Amino acid sequence: MSGLLRHRVTLGWLVVVALWVAAGLLKPGFAKIGHLRYLLELASITGIVAAGQTLVVIGGGIDLSVAAIITFAAIILPLLTFPFDPSGMGAVAMTLAITTAIGGLNGIGVVLLRVHPLILTLATATILQGALILIAGGSAISTVNPAVTFLGNGALFGLPMTIVTWLVIAAVTLFVLHGTVLGSWLFALGTNDRAARLAGVGAGQAILAVHAASGFCAGLAGLLLLGMNRQGYVGIGEPYLLGSIAAVVLGGTSILGGRGTYLGTIAGSILLVTITALITVVNASPGWRAILFGGLILGLLLISGRERSG
Amino acid sequence: MSNAAPVLAAQGLVKRFFGNPVLKDVSIEIVPGRVHALLGENGAGKSTLVNLLSGVLSPDEGRLLVDGQPCARLTPALARRHGIAVVQQELSLAPHLSVVENVALGAVPTRRGLIDYRRLAVEVGRVLDRLGLDVALDQPVEELPLGRRQLVEIAKALYRQPRVLILDEPTSSLTAHEVQALFKVLAELKREGTALVYISHRMNEIMHLCDWVTVLKDGTRTADRTMDGIDPPALVRLMVGREPGDLFPPFRSTTRDEPALEARALTAPGVGGVDLVVRQGEVLGIGGLLGQGQEELLLALYGALDAQAERLATGGVDRPSRNPADAIGRGLAYVPADRKREAVLLPLSIGFNLTLPGLRRLARRGLRRFAREAEVARELTAKLNVRGGGPERAVQLLSGGNQQKVALARWLPLSPKVLLLNDPTRGVDVDTKREIYLRLKGMAAGGMAVILLSSDALELVHLCDRVLVFRDGRIAADLPHGQASEEAIVAASLGVARQEAA
Repeated sequence: MSGLLRHRVTLGWLVVVALWVAAGLLKPGFAKIGHLRYLLELASITGIVAAGQTLVVIGGGIDLSVAAIITFAAIILPLLTFPFDPSGMGAVAMTLAITTAIGGLNGIGVVLLRVHPLILTLATATILQGALILIAGGSAISTVNPAVTFLGNGALFGLPMTIVTWLVIAAVTLFVLHGTVLGSWLFALGTNDRAARLAGVGAGQAILAVHAASGFCAGLAGLLLLGMNRQGYVGIGEPYLLGSIAAVVLGGTSILGGRGTYLGTIAGSILLVTITALITVVNASPGWRAILFGGLILGLLLISGRERSG
Repeated sequence: MSNAAPVLAAQGLVKRFFGNPVLKDVSIEIVPGRVHALLGENGAGKSTLVNLLSGVLSPDEGRLLVDGQPCARLTPALARRHGIAVVQQELSLAPHLSVVENVALGAVPTRRGLIDYRRLAVEVGRVLDRLGLDVALDQPVEELPLGRRQLVEIAKALYRQPRVLILDEPTSSLTAHEVQALFKVLAELKREGTALVYISHRMNEIMHLCDWVTVLKDGTRTADRTMDGIDPPALVRLMVGREPGDLFPPFRSTTRDEPALEARALTAPGVGGVDLVVRQGEVLGIGGLLGQGQEELLLALYGALDAQAERLATGGVDRPSRNPADAIGRGLAYVPADRKREAVLLPLSIGFNLTLPGLRRLARRGLRRFAREAEVARELTAKLNVRGGGPERAVQLLSGGNQQKVALARWLPLSPKVLLLNDPTRGVDVDTKREIYLRLKGMAAGGMAVILLSSDALELVHLCDRVLVFRDGRIAADLPHGQASEEAIVAASLGVARQEAA
């Protein structure tokens, strides 16, 4: 069982390595350090969103509101610029607090209203999108927040801040999953909700916690995106809904819950970005590229993400 | 008994799981018109043999013959086509589908590609009538009590008009009345020439019903003979390979004066106003026909069902528990009857399952302490004698009896004050039963209050200080040890006055 799991994760990483080696040989410039670092910077956005998503999915749920929360964070932050907050740290903290609270509301809805997370987070997403149109009115909002600019473009010891942030989130996520009571509860709930509850698992607390964590991660990803693009607009978070779920499943985590690890999700995130980068060199219209991208994800899922029967 | 040629035969079957042999050179002949008992403790290889005979597993060595013809690769589909049907001990019904859909699943009569519902209703109705099962055809199976569901499972097998019918513990959830109806049908099938294989831990059923017996012990065949002239103690000796002591430990009350749990006017869905007191060290039995509110009572006490009560005092608090986690905090523990769906987490490891309820206490500020967890898992597997592998193996690889031990053992680190047991020995072999009885009496002697819900009247008679018999969600009788005879319990559960029953 755990052997198989490790095997699936290893498989994801092997595909990444194989793809990088092949692309490096076939495409001049792919294997340059600068290009690889750029790929990882892009992957870190997906990877951070997928960190919260991994926690939710292993616990037996799903979060379809991540894209809307990313956009929400990227648009709300520029509006939170105040003279008494010259560093912009206050705005960052406030934005993260708000997105965490939105995630928490998702959790409360799932626990108290007993609505399936699929439908509840979809409803949250729709409400947020409506609110964004009212707030932003369809125009892009630029920011001059120094903290966000540093997050999106700065570096620490030569490493881009996006990657540094991802490393921190990855370490915390792995620790929560495999080293805490909460992590064990998630595996138990995802495996068999009723048996877990009868064994005294604090289901309400756990579900609330992972949805809040997912809101936090999506908010953080929104800030990084804003820092990289220097402006937020409606739709900025859109690619990361399918992206985060695909990264989770490509990494060998069961979409039905109870089985998986964030280590696989990391490989899945890098894989997605690499495929996107490789497809841009194909001389085809954007429509065909999208079809190719979807087809490739399906193909990879057949290798690593299929649910076992029975 | 019958000289007919075997319809299904196995020769020299060997099956290994992860290198461990679970069946060693087992041969068996299934003959038309004969009821063939298959006996053995849990883990003796009965389920594996049934899975081989029905094509679910394929043997590592040996061969299967259908109608005398060697069958190179028997698959479940091929077995069905040969007329081999199995009634599983663990029910395999689709809970949201109706009775009729479940019975006919995969064998629906069609007309021009569409389901012929009229014919379906008639044919399924005929099978249900035969079993004396009085349920609405369109009722979802999940709404039926466990006993009825088991009959639907049997109806599903009969509907296919099998030539070989294998029944794995078919009566474990049935009432005495339902068992009688089933036995009548089995006798008819036997007369019609169906080959029957019957697996049960209930010796009186085996004695009453079976013509031939095959006994398995640790994966080898220790007997294959007619039932003529053999008695239950001899069969038990063949299963366990030693003289069976008394199944039940000698009765000794360890009841103390202090109450461990008091309830007054407790109501919940299915429970209508129950007063009860359990004292420390007491073993309180809960009996009655199936589905009379006994399970609901346990769930209500455990906070898994919404309950109201004038008084519900335990663990120093007087209110119904809000949820299981709350109940556990007050010193309650619950061992469910349906261990695969409600107790153990099948794909997860033995160690994980053993430490899950006590995880928060083993941890420090929410951080797991792996060394302590491993130590606890090791202690518990040793203490309850869990056989079948190290703590890192998945629970689903264990036999049913050992899974049940895990379901019980995982509560020990919490030292519960009140232990709620829901039919803890259902489908469990004789040896494990005895271990569970001793463990249960030992825990009571240590001051724990034990509430034992059992479908086996003998357990209530021999283990309990007091037996509450339930009828229609209420306590119909409160019988102290000594007065709680099998007859008295059955009489009270049927609502028959004692004198008439005697």
